[in-house]
Amino acid sequence: MIGRYVGRRLLQVLPTVAGILLIGFLLLHLAPGDPVLALAGEHGDAAYYAFMREKFGLDRSLPQQLATYVGNVLRGDLGVSYIQGRPVVDVIAERLGATLLLTASALVLSSAAGILLGLLAASRSGGPRDVTVSAGALGLYAAPVFWIAQLALLTLSLRIGLFPVQGMTRPGGAPAGLAGVLDVARHLTLPVLVLASQEIAAVTRLTRIGLIEELASDHIRTARAKGLAERFVVGTHALRRALLPVVTVIGGRVGHLLSGAVVVEVVFGWPGLGRLLLSAMQTRDSPVLLGIFLLVAFSVVIANLLTDLAYGWLDPRIAYR
Amino acid sequence: MRVRGILVMLAFVTVACGAAGPTQTQGGTAEPVRGGTLVVGITSDPGGLNPAITTSGGTHTASELMYNGLVGLGPNLEPVPELAESWEIEGDGAIYRFTLRDGVTWHDGTPFTSADVKFSFEEVLLEFHSRTRASLMPVLDAIETPDERTVVFRFRQPYAPLLLQLDVTEAPIVAKHIYEGTDPQQNPANTAPVGTGPFKFVSYTPGAEVVMERNPDYFKEGLPYLDRVIERVIPEEGSQVIALEAGEVDWIWGVPGPDQQRLEADPGVELIRTDRNPGGSNCIMTVSFNLERPLFADPRLREAIASALDRDQFLERVLFGQGRVAQAPISSGIPWAHAEDLALPAYDRAEAERLLDAAGWAREGNGVRTAQGVEGVPDGTPLAFDFLHFPTFTQYGELLRAQLADVGAEVTLRPLEPPVFVETVFTERDFDTNVISYCNGNDPEIGVRRMFDSSNIGTVPFSNAAAYRNPEVDRLFAEAARTLGRDERGDVYRQIQEIVAGDLPYWWLVETSATRAHTADCTGFSPYAQFAESAYCTR
Amino acid sequence: MGLGLTLLVVVVALLASALAPFDPFALAGPPLAPPSRAHLMGTDALGRDLFSGVLHGARTSLLVATVVGALVMTIGLAVGMASGYRGGLLDDVLMRVTEIFQTLPRFFLAIVVAALFGSELRYLVLVLGLTSWALVARVVRSEVLSLRGSEFVEAARASGASDIRIILREILPNTLPAAIAYLGLLLAQVILLEASLGFLGLIDPSVISWGYLAGQAQRFLRVAWWLSLFPGVAIMVAVLGLNLLADALTDVLGGRG
Repeated sequence: MIGRYVGRRLLQVLPTVAGILLIGFLLLHLAPGDPVLALAGEHGDAAYYAFMREKFGLDRSLPQQLATYVGNVLRGDLGVSYIQGRPVVDVIAERLGATLLLTASALVLSSAAGILLGLLAASRSGGPRDVTVSAGALGLYAAPVFWIAQLALLTLSLRIGLFPVQGMTRPGGAPAGLAGVLDVARHLTLPVLVLASQEIAAVTRLTRIGLIEELASDHIRTARAKGLAERFVVGTHALRRALLPVVTVIGGRVGHLLSGAVVVEVVFGWPGLGRLLLSAMQTRDSPVLLGIFLLVAFSVVIANLLTDLAYGWLDPRIAYR
Repeated sequence: MRVRGILVMLAFVTVACGAAGPTQTQGGTAEPVRGGTLVVGITSDPGGLNPAITTSGGTHTASELMYNGLVGLGPNLEPVPELAESWEIEGDGAIYRFTLRDGVTWHDGTPFTSADVKFSFEEVLLEFHSRTRASLMPVLDAIETPDERTVVFRFRQPYAPLLLQLDVTEAPIVAKHIYEGTDPQQNPANTAPVGTGPFKFVSYTPGAEVVMERNPDYFKEGLPYLDRVIERVIPEEGSQVIALEAGEVDWIWGVPGPDQQRLEADPGVELIRTDRNPGGSNCIMTVSFNLERPLFADPRLREAIASALDRDQFLERVLFGQGRVAQAPISSGIPWAHAEDLALPAYDRAEAERLLDAAGWAREGNGVRTAQGVEGVPDGTPLAFDFLHFPTFTQYGELLRAQLADVGAEVTLRPLEPPVFVETVFTERDFDTNVISYCNGNDPEIGVRRMFDSSNIGTVPFSNAAAYRNPEVDRLFAEAARTLGRDERGDVYRQIQEIVAGDLPYWWLVETSATRAHTADCTGFSPYAQFAESAYCTR
Repeated sequence: MGLGLTLLVVVVALLASALAPFDPFALAGPPLAPPSRAHLMGTDALGRDLFSGVLHGARTSLLVATVVGALVMTIGLAVGMASGYRGGLLDDVLMRVTEIFQTLPRFFLAIVVAALFGSELRYLVLVLGLTSWALVARVVRSEVLSLRGSEFVEAARASGASDIRIILREILPNTLPAAIAYLGLLLAQVILLEASLGFLGLIDPSVISWGYLAGQAQRFLRVAWWLSLFPGVAIMVAVLGLNLLADALTDVLGGRG
């Protein structure tokens, strides 16, 4: 049952993945500008460029290069970074942890806070609490993320000195053990707050709308009529059903969070994939660019997959056909 | 001649023995304090820590403390001994004989010998370091190592600039026993370097930081003073300044213009100005005219454009004063070659309008000018052209566009990322004008000749963008490369500058400087190369 | 309220040249001057008037929104209707394609395109227009699916109308409101995306846009707060307006979609 459903969903995902791979590869190779310049630097002569071109297989035809690339990806080989001369997989793996930490924390924080705020607003729908929360959420959503990041940096870090200015650890690396964890946590706070602020709005609004609809529906009236406590009614029955659209949205939000993470990482000097993306861009390190692009796309695919599964769990009406 | 060679050698050795290393900042009369950690902010993740296989500024900034070159350069670009303790020039400058220091060891204890030098040049620098390769390959004949402490460079003809191309930025020496038999670009030592420099490698966390510690066996007696140097990657210059002010970082490589005033007033911060950078020294922002286009055939148009540009405004609004208006085609950072009192067009809008009128560009009111009897341009064509630039130089384009609009020229900006820019300008030659930061380097032979040499018009990036062809100038450059005496060379370069100042294939806007900033607690820095070699902190 | 805000932005955009006191590219005043009578929102590092810049930025945003909107609507409607009405193999194939485009991370794609092809506005518009239609297609498709079996469609078919006629006459007008609601949200995202690209320095400098202004302001945050405040506020107003408008439309439709 569940196994078959998962299997079917995975099969459905394959063409998506293939499509993304194709698009990414074509983009990088159809772009103007000679990739050999990134490899060989800007002062070489014709012989040197020819030598580098051959070395990196840039002189073969496009379909040949595509076939080679796809074959490599299937074996887990994303190529070699032009600039660093190391496997792309290594380059990305080193930074993945930092971005994962930042993004996952922001996801959890924004989901929890968003649902809570949505609850608050919906339970007294139309009242002053509702209005404040909704307005605040909307305001946060409408402001560009780099703006909020800069303001936070200037006020909370520099003026008040509450948080460190940049980086993931203090200079020289984190100390071992609990002190290390606390050090990272201190550096993590501001970036996570800023990143989460963008998402809180969306989650709040969706929870609120979903809850309002649910609270007005039939089986909630029945539950109330049965004499169940209000809090129980809202908390379990309504919430579970209302979380449906929220879960869908959270899944799709992974892509949005990752984009926000790029900006936050730049402002706060967080050593993750976002900054790697920017430096790869400036140096035209195509394999790394493509690697990151694929990674992000795959993350979204996986997030969607998990969301679908969670969707099914939350709403028993969805049969695992 | 033999006598002359010996005299030159004596002169250099005298200077060499007198110098003690890179100039130190004035830090009061306190005795240097040993110990402590210096935290440095760097703009880009180096990726690799081998400065011999790349000219990338990021790699060089992060790694130069761990390496040395044969010959260093003092504050006035005078050669000072580094790995080489003395040298002789023979055969009118076609043979250079270096005697290497005794007792130098690599960070892993292996002794340093002449074999390392020969290997570094032949297998690494001449293969992968683009500037060294470009300048030495055509003229170098052979490198010989008669014994462990002697290296001889033989050139096909006298080659004057060699001593200025042997510092850690242009020709760092790497270890033969580490790189022999491997592919230098893939060798794991590139992220765990073994050098001879004042600091040894400890760790590299990609994207985050590079940690180095004191080299107790460094060949300069008593140096370095610091125990550790940590380089943190902070890509945003504004964030670097914030980190410096918050005390999280002790030294940053560049201060953005807007923050300069505030830092100058801050008693806890000291600033150092310099033109020398790991990525390129003595750089001039230069506008090129594509001389292959009929539009720019008339020198009056080029002179008019030059006269219409208020270069002080560029200095003030784009650079915030970090630099100087260019007074000659060769940077003032190379004082013996820089031409003083050259007759360049001054900022004069009235003169610009007069020249444009005279060249046949008529104007109605305040509109864009149109051609009336301009050779090679149909009547009625508007005075409109494009301007290519790196995205980081957008402000130059915007100011230029605004200033030229005042005299009736319409400029369209085309920002292009470096690889695309290079292909469009040098391979396709599809541009009217552009702006390029042409770095002169430490000697005009390195960075200036390529702009004017008619044999250098082609696909090599940062070559002769204007497509300037003047056989007299070509001849003079070749002569300057062969002439040994500095004063005589300077005369030749002056002749060149006078000619090109009249022809105006380019317009030299501003010389750019960098401003380093460091906490007032630390002192003894030099603004380039092994900058923290003599630094110490009193706190 | 949403309608009001959005209209404000649109009107300002259309009248920008008339309202702006200076040419946004001209060196109109002293550099880095704080807001004053002469320059309501201050000047930037080169001495250009920010107020004029913000007004012209509205025009660019309107242009981008229009073109992207047109592309998205055209492709989304076409795909959604073909898929929903025909069903079968065409539906499967189109839905797979839609899924691909839905999963593509737009921001990263925009960065990659800007880095590789250049930051000209037309590339940005193309990328956004060609990749953002997925959700619209889905919404349209579900509307079509539910309308397919309805009475007036049956009636039309019975009276011998061709498929195309039915689609254009009966179904299209009913799918539009839901599609437009999504479009509002999408365009708000587009404006925010453009702003982020500007911050990262990937925006076209030949055109004044809010993203461009935001990017320029970045370096001067501590010496010229007005350079980031006003463009930021403008962005917020436009995004708020579009969101509220989309919300209102969705409410009117009874919360469907």
